[in-house]
Amino acid sequence: MAHEITLDELRMIAGRAGLHVSEDELQRLLPGVNRSHKQVLELRDLMTDTLEPAGLFSVASEEE
Amino acid sequence: MAASDLCYLSMAEAATGLRQKKFSPVELTEACLSRIQTFDGRLHCFITCTAELAIRQAKQAEKALFSDNDFGPLHGIPIALKDLYATQGIRTTCHSAVLHDWVPDFNATAVGKLSGAGTVLLGKLGMHEFAFGGPSVDAPFPAVRNPWNTAHITGGSSSGSGAALAAGFCYGALGSDTGGSIRNPAAHCGIVGIKPTYGRVSRYGVVPLSWSLDHTGPMARSVEDCAIMLQVLAGYDSNDPASANVAVPDFRSALRDRIKGLRVGVPRANWFNENKGTDPRTEGVFNAALRTLKELGAEIIDIDGQSFSLARKANQTILIAEAYAYHEKNLQHSPEKFGSSVRRRLLEGAFLSAADYIAAQRARTALNEQIRENFSRLDAFATPTIARPPDAFDGMDPNEQNLRPNFTNPFNLTGLPALSVPCGFTPDNLPVGLQIVAPPFAEATCFRLAFAYEQATIWHKHRPPLD
Repeated sequence: MAHEITLDELRMIAGRAGLHVSEDELQRLLPGVNRSHKQVLELRDLMTDTLEPAGLFSVASEEE
Repeated sequence: MAASDLCYLSMAEAATGLRQKKFSPVELTEACLSRIQTFDGRLHCFITCTAELAIRQAKQAEKALFSDNDFGPLHGIPIALKDLYATQGIRTTCHSAVLHDWVPDFNATAVGKLSGAGTVLLGKLGMHEFAFGGPSVDAPFPAVRNPWNTAHITGGSSSGSGAALAAGFCYGALGSDTGGSIRNPAAHCGIVGIKPTYGRVSRYGVVPLSWSLDHTGPMARSVEDCAIMLQVLAGYDSNDPASANVAVPDFRSALRDRIKGLRVGVPRANWFNENKGTDPRTEGVFNAALRTLKELGAEIIDIDGQSFSLARKANQTILIAEAYAYHEKNLQHSPEKFGSSVRRRLLEGAFLSAADYIAAQRARTALNEQIRENFSRLDAFATPTIARPPDAFDGMDPNEQNLRPNFTNPFNLTGLPALSVPCGFTPDNLPVGLQIVAPPFAEATCFRLAFAYEQATIWHKHRPPLD
């Protein structure tokens, strides 16, 4: 189980992404970011080894 | 006929009246423009009103129609467009300072098709910024207000499209839908809107929110009018990589088929009660609508809603990741141009990993299979369109939407056609929508069920208290 993202981590990721986000805005972002991560964890429960992502590139469709 | 009655004709009725020369395209257009002039100061539906162009186009339509050069049922009909459809020579803003002065040099495919069908363009409509933010105070144009009660929101993101139709400003409009943005304002404004199957209507020239979830489609005041518009809009477009090269049936001719024996699944268990659950006012109206469908001969079957509930999570993950990717450069270099609401939602995408996005796309594969498997024993699904009536602007909780089940976005994830039709009102006279969902490319089934329901009820005949 992944841990909740902290404000420090959020600040670091924002900097790496080239985003200039104020401290105030980072604080307002944090609950939504953690909600998003929680959602993804719930989706991972669906995974099987054979499950592929939707929308894979298809050479055949390019040739049609 | 009183001017307001003229403005509230259905598109089909207006088309008939034009051919009977009861009125002309210029008279229809002038009636709409007069109504916009009178009431839009209270509603803020239009960002750009193209009055001069509309009169010019109406005169051309009049000349053609009255000399028996008939382009079909949309010829001479005034319409309006959500302001994310590229319009050649007309500003296209996405309700954002980022695109405040963008004047495209081309038309979106859907715009070209409507123009080719002889429609009259009244203008470009307000929306939620980039089809993603909520109604916000720091966007460059005011938030659109609900004609049923201007203290309330319209739902979004095609807010101007829903409100303009309810207010009698136009006969048809285009919306776009990535998580419910056609169906939500249709429900909250008491009109009809259909999100067709993914690939049925071209997205070319429509500013993207999320490439793999974006749908485009018509909104109107009746089911038949939506069918008329979809007939013109549907079809393969090589400019749109997601466009589907499939046959387009005659949507209008299927409307009057009986619905007796159609099996309608209601995914109530494990979905309708999610978090804060469905508002009891909405659920009461929805249950009454199901009784009407049953009286009309449909078979109502309860099914499990677990996979529908999970689909929301996959949809939201994919949406914010793709939306961030599209807007990344502007978020890095001119974040101040975005309204605070949309900026915060877009920025969340920066904190998802590639593995998160792929997990959501893998979940999409699984959930798509689970949801579509129901069609081996069902013809359609029915849900309320939105889990609660439209909020008032004052005291609106931006997180409220996440605390209720989302009935629309699973059908963006799965690409299934989904339509909202008016199905009643709350005790304080706010509209409620019934959502009908069908298998891929079976829009005709949505229309058939919705038309039967509409004709058996009176909700579509109600008008908001503007006059």
